[in-house]
Amino acid sequence: MSEYSDYPTAARAIPRVGGLDVSAERVASLRPDLVLATQEGNARGPVTALAAAGLPVLVLPTGSLDAVLQSIRRIGEALGRREEAARLADSLSSRRASVRERVSGKRRPKAILLVWPEPPQAAGGGTFLNEVLSDAGAENLIETRPGWPVVSAEYLSTAPVEVLVLPVSTGTRPAFEHALSAGALSRGSIRRARVVWMDDAVLTRPGPRVFGALEELASAIHGADSRRSP
Amino acid sequence: MRAKRVAGGLAAAIALLAIAVVFGLLTGGVHLSPVDLVAGVGPAGETARLVASLRAPRVALSALVGCCLAVAGAALQALLKNPLADPFLLGTSGGAAAGAAFAAVAGLSPLVSPAAAFAGAIGSSVAVAALARRGGRLDLQRLLLAGLIANAFFSAVLLAVFSVASGQTARTMLFWMMGSLADATPGKVLALAPYGAAGFAVLVAFAGRLNLFAVGEENAAALGVDVESSKRIVFLASSLLTGAAVAFAGIIGFVGLLVPHAARAAVGNDQRALLPVSAIAGAALLVAADAVSRSAFAPAELPVGAVTAAIGAPIFAWLLLRNP
Amino acid sequence: MSTLLEARGLSASYGATPALDGLDAAIGRGELVALLGENGSGKSTFLRVIARIVPAGGGEVLLEGRPLAGFPRRATARRIAYLPQSTELVFPIRSLDLVLQGRAPHSRGFSADSAEDRDRALAAMRACDVEALAERDASALSGGETRRVFLARALAQEAEIWLLDEPTSGLDPRHRLEFLEVIARAHADRKTTVLLVTHEIDLAGEIADRVVLLRAGRALAEGSPRETLTPDRLREAFGVESRIVTDDQGRRRVVPYAPSR
Repeated sequence: MSEYSDYPTAARAIPRVGGLDVSAERVASLRPDLVLATQEGNARGPVTALAAAGLPVLVLPTGSLDAVLQSIRRIGEALGRREEAARLADSLSSRRASVRERVSGKRRPKAILLVWPEPPQAAGGGTFLNEVLSDAGAENLIETRPGWPVVSAEYLSTAPVEVLVLPVSTGTRPAFEHALSAGALSRGSIRRARVVWMDDAVLTRPGPRVFGALEELASAIHGADSRRSP
Repeated sequence: MRAKRVAGGLAAAIALLAIAVVFGLLTGGVHLSPVDLVAGVGPAGETARLVASLRAPRVALSALVGCCLAVAGAALQALLKNPLADPFLLGTSGGAAAGAAFAAVAGLSPLVSPAAAFAGAIGSSVAVAALARRGGRLDLQRLLLAGLIANAFFSAVLLAVFSVASGQTARTMLFWMMGSLADATPGKVLALAPYGAAGFAVLVAFAGRLNLFAVGEENAAALGVDVESSKRIVFLASSLLTGAAVAFAGIIGFVGLLVPHAARAAVGNDQRALLPVSAIAGAALLVAADAVSRSAFAPAELPVGAVTAAIGAPIFAWLLLRNP
Repeated sequence: MSTLLEARGLSASYGATPALDGLDAAIGRGELVALLGENGSGKSTFLRVIARIVPAGGGEVLLEGRPLAGFPRRATARRIAYLPQSTELVFPIRSLDLVLQGRAPHSRGFSADSAEDRDRALAAMRACDVEALAERDASALSGGETRRVFLARALAQEAEIWLLDEPTSGLDPRHRLEFLEVIARAHADRKTTVLLVTHEIDLAGEIADRVVLLRAGRALAEGSPRETLTPDRLREAFGVESRIVTDDQGRRRVVPYAPSR
């Protein structure tokens, strides 16, 4: 159980073995029945070590909503709960499909998703968040740049940004608010953008809850009753 | 002084700075038309003026930071009689990074970051100077070694801090460490200016002594210089310049090392000419590098330290190759 | 002859290594004194203490009867010129500028730049036959040329005391002789007091007014060349057996021929 896992609340009771870098020994000492690892985000070393030690390791794909669904199915298989997993995956999949349907045909507002305000760091092309933004019916202005590029304040002040998606936590929100009022997000055209605050614990960590965030984002961008918001 | 050569070098440096400033104001991710800027009305004019008002502090800060780093580098090269000395050699970069990292990880407001970085830089310099003391004197050879030790130590500290920091904090720290002028404000320019002016004034006042040091510390002593006091003052002034520059712009390499060499090739090693020419050329280089960092992959920004390294490494290699 | 410089019980060390260990010596105004001794006997260190590069660890040096350490550094630098055995020039520097550094103690901010300074510097370079090299980069000159530029610098400094550390080592015969000529002329014309560290026993015998023999950081003997440069003294100072010969010019020479057993 990593430090980032705080949902559902029952999960908090499970022993912690570290953050994104994990202590292989700590994991091994807990004698798990199965170790779940992702292709990115976990240190390759500990994972390889655990596999070499004979522990069953399941490496899961990441990087897209499809990957989340695949992961769910694979976990289900590994735990012998294939039916349950398939049900969950299917329901999430259909939720996603209905969001896509809801937003199809509508004008896609130009959007930017910033993971950090100063310097402004955006979700670019090929990222998981880019896909979420796209599925929610928005056009990511930074899609042409891969990864997590830092964008210049001058660009933000002249770009035709209509929607600004800000995933925050209680700790990071003040920094974003400062940027909006007096910092890199306070001048020019970015001021006219509509700000959509999201819970970053839900939006930025690939897992089943992301689909809920996707719905929330789509509603925020396009209106709950499918009307285009001003 | 070879007056003509110096005047020529100075003029060239000023010209380069002027070009760089114009380049810096006009380029970037967003196209800025000079016509709109000067005579535009309505949205076009407003946009142009807005962009210019965003770029102007960056250009000013780049110029100041470039100035500080180049002058500190030139002075240290003379003091240490070492053409490979750069402003970070004495532990200031490691200390600054550690200071800023602690502030970030401790969750302090980003406004505190420059102060923390500055404190780290000065703290490190003082520790390095203390390490280099030998029988009441500041031993310049030990100073180099002590600086290397300090930077190595701080690298280790930083890696440890990175490993416990959240992903986002780590990314922001990394971006800062590679040098960034992204959040330049007129306030920062005004805050840095006194350090730059004071440091520069002190070093220029010591130009004659630095010329003597450049032939050797013993040479300076034999010609009547109070070498211990001079070493302390030059070291302190350089650390102030470097610490202040790093506090506001992160760690930008190559400027402090390269620009003095280029200036030396143009006007010779007389510090009375080298220091001012390095200052102006350093400003020009960083203004240009910042403009490139904003334009090369617009709207994404490159860390300016990456740009100076990309420009600096080949130039340095070329300088080495043409000097048998 | 009045005493200009005096060492009393002078000690100095580099870290833990003692170089001078209670040296007593007196140098008269206008004298040319040769300092001889084997390597490590403290000759160079003595010069460097006088040049105020190395601090005295014990005892003192007196200049005109007053402790050297009490003088402002700039004041002594105007009066004492030091020519080290070698100086590595890491940065390019115009030869004229290197010579002008000799004027630094006389100028504000240690920057000599007036027309008068330039004239004196060029005159000094002329006297050392390096005027033609004035515009050239000193770091690119040959060893001998560099040495003469440094000599010109000492001349330009217009100091009354010269400290020369093995000034002729590594010079070819012609340049060695020219060098010695310049020294002799300065000594004669300007009554410069010269302290000359050398390994050349004959040179000491020929040009020195007095000789000080050093051993293990102390003065072993001092006096006129004839008094001090004797086979017994040389045995004590250098551990060599020597004999006295008279050359075809009638000059007395002391020639070492074998190490002492």
